[in-house]
Formats: sequence, structure tokens, C-alpha cells
Amino acid sequence: MRKKIAIFILIGWVLLIIGDRVDELRVYQGAQMAMYTIALASIVLLTGYSGQVSLGNGAMMAVGGYGAALTLNNLGTPIWFAFLMAIVTASLFGALLGAAAARVSGPYLAGTTLALAVGLPAIANQFAFLGGEPGLFFDVGFPPERFGDEFTQYKWFFWIASFIALIALFITSNILSSRFGRTWRAIRGNSLAAELCGVHSSRMKVLAFTVSSGLAGLAGAVLAMTISLVAPGAYGLALSFALVTGAVLAGISSLPGVVLGAIILVFIPEISVALADRLGDADKLNNYLPGLIVSVLLILSVIFTPNGPGENLRKHLHKKPAH
Amino acid sequence: MIRKTRIKRTWLAAAVIASGSLLATALPANAETGVSAREIKLGITLPLTGAASPGYNKIGNAMNAYFKYVNDNGGVYGRKVTLIQKNDEFSPQLAIAKTNELILRDKVFALVGPLGTANFTAVHKSVGLAKRRVPSLFLNTGFSGFSNKKSYPTSFMVLPSYAMEAKIIAQFLKENHAGKKLGIVYQNDEFGIDGLGAFKAAGTKFDVTIPYTSGTQSAATAQTWVSQLAAGGAEVVVMFGVTSATGALLGVSAAAKYAPQWILGSVGSDPVTLRALGVPVAVLNGAQTPAGNPSPNDTSDEYVKQFQEINTEYNPGVAFDDYVLQGMNIGLLTVQALRAAGKNLTRKRLIRAIETKGSKFASVAYSPLGFSRTSNVGHTGYYMAVMDANGDRKPFGGKVTLYTTDSGSGPVVVSTFKRPAMPAKGLPSNS
Repeated sequence: MRKKIAIFILIGWVLLIIGDRVDELRVYQGAQMAMYTIALASIVLLTGYSGQVSLGNGAMMAVGGYGAALTLNNLGTPIWFAFLMAIVTASLFGALLGAAAARVSGPYLAGTTLALAVGLPAIANQFAFLGGEPGLFFDVGFPPERFGDEFTQYKWFFWIASFIALIALFITSNILSSRFGRTWRAIRGNSLAAELCGVHSSRMKVLAFTVSSGLAGLAGAVLAMTISLVAPGAYGLALSFALVTGAVLAGISSLPGVVLGAIILVFIPEISVALADRLGDADKLNNYLPGLIVSVLLILSVIFTPNGPGENLRKHLHKKPAH
Repeated sequence: MIRKTRIKRTWLAAAVIASGSLLATALPANAETGVSAREIKLGITLPLTGAASPGYNKIGNAMNAYFKYVNDNGGVYGRKVTLIQKNDEFSPQLAIAKTNELILRDKVFALVGPLGTANFTAVHKSVGLAKRRVPSLFLNTGFSGFSNKKSYPTSFMVLPSYAMEAKIIAQFLKENHAGKKLGIVYQNDEFGIDGLGAFKAAGTKFDVTIPYTSGTQSAATAQTWVSQLAAGGAEVVVMFGVTSATGALLGVSAAAKYAPQWILGSVGSDPVTLRALGVPVAVLNGAQTPAGNPSPNDTSDEYVKQFQEINTEYNPGVAFDDYVLQGMNIGLLTVQALRAAGKNLTRKRLIRAIETKGSKFASVAYSPLGFSRTSNVGHTGYYMAVMDANGDRKPFGGKVTLYTTDSGSGPVVVSTFKRPAMPAKGLPSNS
């Protein structure tokens, strides 16, 4: 445990140094990476460990984002409390959904969560207190003045997002190595066998949904922070699909792999811009290329590395000590 | 033990990958962002696709066509003007993401003609345009909130505000449609609410009031609007929405044979786009609308004639309409602003140049520009127009009667302002 804490502190320290050395675009992308890391961790926990497929994590992120924004805007609470409320709101919502989801599995569960991903942003659009399509502002404020004028808003976002991601990953990693993680893996492996061993599989599935939703909600609040806004369009179907792709590419049962998945998701627009510039007619191509790249990567990954390239990389790294 | 080592190794690998990817290139700082000896880089976000795109998707290419024309004629003090367009699909979060790309990745010198009230509100706050001192020139929105120079010190409007427009329509209703039952359909955000507030302040009472949320406009939604308007007996209907919403309303009304006197807000009244959306020209015949610019078909106007020529050569195959006219005019204003800032171009100098010289810039609109050290207000008035059987716009009453006002409680007055002449060949020579 101490070694793990030391590693996380080391990573945090390295990120701080990097945040000082790179330009603002990379800092902004770093904050996005931290957001995707948390969101992908929620999928790894749910799908990779408890074996439940969800295509609706974008909707859970929306619940967290709105929870945080409503808390911050209406109660004027400190930022940390808004993030906490994002977890609480999304967890409660996830528990309700989990109770229903525990009754279905496989494609039926995927269909249910997909309906949520499609419907929830559209529903949010209809309520005035949720700000309609323009959404609600989520302003975490400027960085403290003592950091100086050179300390930009995006660096502040990067710090907050990285700090939250490190804590979220540390806690998730511990949960997954605990008896809960083992139980979820047992259920994923063989639900009936797990029940014969005394595991209450439905209850544990609901718990997995609750924890995963809490993480997704936290990611939703971090996303809201990076764009200072919570709006239905920010949590659309494209986000849910991108997250699933990121999780598959990362290796669906590999928690450290989520970092790789997050990097891929952040750099897809970069690749798209580079490709569009080479192919010409960049303005039009840029509209469709990111979606195309996500889809192609997902298909290729499923065909050639069903467990994801991240999983292959992990296995490769693990093989070495045995030689 | 082996497992712990594996875990450690995997986490470290993840950290190394994350660090490596973040430690990508950091560009060296220029004297001024987006300006080199040969180029001035500008950016715009606008809906190139999506429900709100019809019409608006022409503005960027029209600006680009004008800039290409200027570039082929020597550029701005020898510098080529480049415009980077990004599709925001008229959604605030995409506008934020794309503006971030423009500023952080493409490193544009200034934003030009960003479109949409909700979008620019979100972008300004999220990206921190004022704090970054990024000039945002000639916004394609008339939200009067943007005229707050303290909150928007680097932004400049070009359209008269929605509040000004509503005050002028209110006066027109009083003078020409007194005693009739009034209805209004408006976009339920800063855009429509800005107008609605001004109508209320002017004492206009609507018998039927229908708000709609941006993005929900469709033929199905318009059915409910028409039912409500017809049930309320509205004889004169003000449409204060975007073109796609206006098109849906007029199209459904035509099918339902509901034909009140239409008063179309300037934002959604371009006849070419409305006809492209399927609105029968017969429905447009007689529709009244406030207008800032001459009709895009009025070739007797020196601005229109010049812009049409540029459009034919540099924007081939694109119908010349209000949006193309507006895009080219923003291009013209931008080139004048860049020239006024001088050869040693900086963001600070650009802002100062518009503040001190902007009110004298040549512009196609009939009303004066309100730029000064204390004001970032663009054009300040409208004339009322009526559409004919061809969908062409003619001044109401046969001649242009220009009304000017402010966004507050100031009166609506008839103005005798004479706009500056179009620069020779459409190429500004100001300094």
C-alpha cells in the first residue's frame, strides 16, 4: 500500500512538473485526459470487473455534471463539495438504474443503457431549471492569486482534474483489489458459481453500477469544469460511444490501461486535423473524421485484439519478470 | 510479491506514456500571436451543419471570399489574411471546444464574426477571451448584453441589438397595426428574451406568446405553434427566431392555410434561405421585416454591386443573399480594422483602432456604427421593409426610413445618417 501511495505521489509530482513545461494546449488536453481517465475507470469497473455492459456512461456523466452545477450555482458551496455532490447524485441515479439493470444482462442491458444515453440529454433539454440546450454555467473560479499572473485558467483546471483523477484511480484500484473486486470478477467469470459460493450476485451488481456511476458522475463534473458549462450536447451519444471505444482500446479489464485509452481519445481530434489537412477540404472532413476514426479503431480492435491493445501491452509487460 | 511488482510496473508504464504524450511540442512565442510577416490568422466558429446551419453556413465562405479578393490585391500591408472556420453545430459546448482549438492550436490573432448568442456567452466565459485579450470582432449576434464594455472589453458587435430591433418593431406595430391581435414566437434564450424585454418596455402586449428552445425547431414543433396562434386569433405574428425556426413556422402555416400578417425578425428573414427551406414564395409576399442592409438584389447599391462581383469570382456557385452580404461586409470591416491598427499589428492596437476609428468605417448597413472608447455597439438602427411577390425585400412605404435607437430606454428616432461610400473597388485604403 505504501509503495502504491508513493507511486501515485510520484505521478502527481511528475504531472505538476509537466504542467509547468508544456504549452496551454497540452495543459488543456491534460485536463481532458484526466477526465477521460476517470470516465474509462468507471467502465473498466463495471464491464471489465463486474461483467455488465453499459453504453450509457455519458448519461451518468451528465447526471454528475448537472448535480455539481446545480450545487455550485444554487448553494454557492466550495468546489470540492460540488464534485462530491456529482458523485452522490450519479451514485444514487446509478443505484436506481442498477436495480433495474440487475434483472437484465448482455444485449438487453446494453440496450437499456443505450436508451438512457439517447434519452437523458434530450430530457434534460426540456427543463428550464437545467438551462435547456444552452445549459448551465459551471464556474470553478480563477486560480488563486498567489500562483501569479502566469498561472493560467487551464493550468488550474489541469491541476484540479489531475488531482481528482489520481485520487479516483487510487481509490478504484484499492476497491478492485479488495474483496469487492474479487467478488465482481467471480460474478463476471460465472455468476452461478459465484452464487453457490455465497455471493449475492444481484446486490453486488447493483453495487458495481452504483460505484461506476459515481465515478462517471465525477468525470462528468470534471468535463463540466474544463468547458465551464453543463449542457445536454456535451454528454451526447458520441461521448458514450467514444468512452466504450476508449475502454476497449485500453483493455476492458485493465485499470492502468485507462490512461492509454484517455490519451487515444484526446488525440483523436489531433489525428483528425492532421489527416484532414493532408487530404484537403479540412473544414468538411474535420466534422466527420473523429467519429470515423473512433468507429474504425473500435472495429479493428474487436477483430484483431478482442481484449484491446492495452490488455496485450499489459500482458507483455507482465511476462517479462517471468523470464 | 511478483504481482505487486507487476502492478507497479503497469502504473509506471501508464505514467510514462501520459508524461510523454503531454511533453509534446511547445511552440516558441511570436511577437504577436497569429501575425507573421506574411500572414494574419483569423478564426470563426459557426454552424456548418445541423438544424441551425441553413444560411449561417454561408457566412464563413463569404468572409473568406472577400479576404481572398483582398489578398489577391496586395493583402493588408502585404500580409495575407487567412480565415480558419470551425463547425460548432450551433451548440455552446462545441463552440467552446472549437474556439479553444482556434486559440490554443491554430493560434489565431483574433476571432471574427462568431455566431450565436448562447455560443458566444459560453465561449467568452469558458475560454476567457477578455482575460486573454483576444479580440472578438463583429459578433454575428445582437444580444444587448454584449454591449457591456466592462464585461466584454475585447469584443465588438456589428448587428443592432435585439432590444433595438424589438423597439423599432414595437413602434411599427403601434403605427401600422394598432388594435389588432398580436402573437409572437421567440427563441427562449438571451436572443429572444432580449427582444421580448424590449417589447414589454415599449408597451407592446401580445395576445399569444410562444417560446421555443433553440434546437427543438422542426415542422412538428411548428404545428403546435400554428395551432396556438390560430386558436388565439393572432392577426399579426412577430417571429423572433433563427431562420430554420422561421422556415418551419411559415412552411407549416402555408400548409394549414393560416395567413396572418407576418413580421419576421431580421435574424430569420432571409428570403433565399427561407425559400431553400421550402417556404412558398407566396407566403413571403407581404411579410414585413426590419432590415439593416439593402436588399442583396439591389444592384443599384454600390456595396451590393461590388460584393456580388466578388462573390461571382471568389465564391462561385453560391447564391448571393443576406448571409453572403453580411459575411462580406464583416470581411470589409475587418480589413479596415486591421489597416487602422497599423503595420505593427498587435491585439492591443487593433482594439484601440476600432475604438477610435471604427465609427467611421465603411459598412453596407444604413445606420451609424457606435464604436468609441466607451462603446462596443455596432450598427444602431433599422428600416422597415416588405417582401414582394418574388420574395425580394423593398423598403416599406417605398423609401428607406431609417430608425435609430439604443438598447435602453432611449427613444426611437428617424435618422438622416448617410453611410460612408464603399472604398474604391471594395479595397479599403484607410489607416
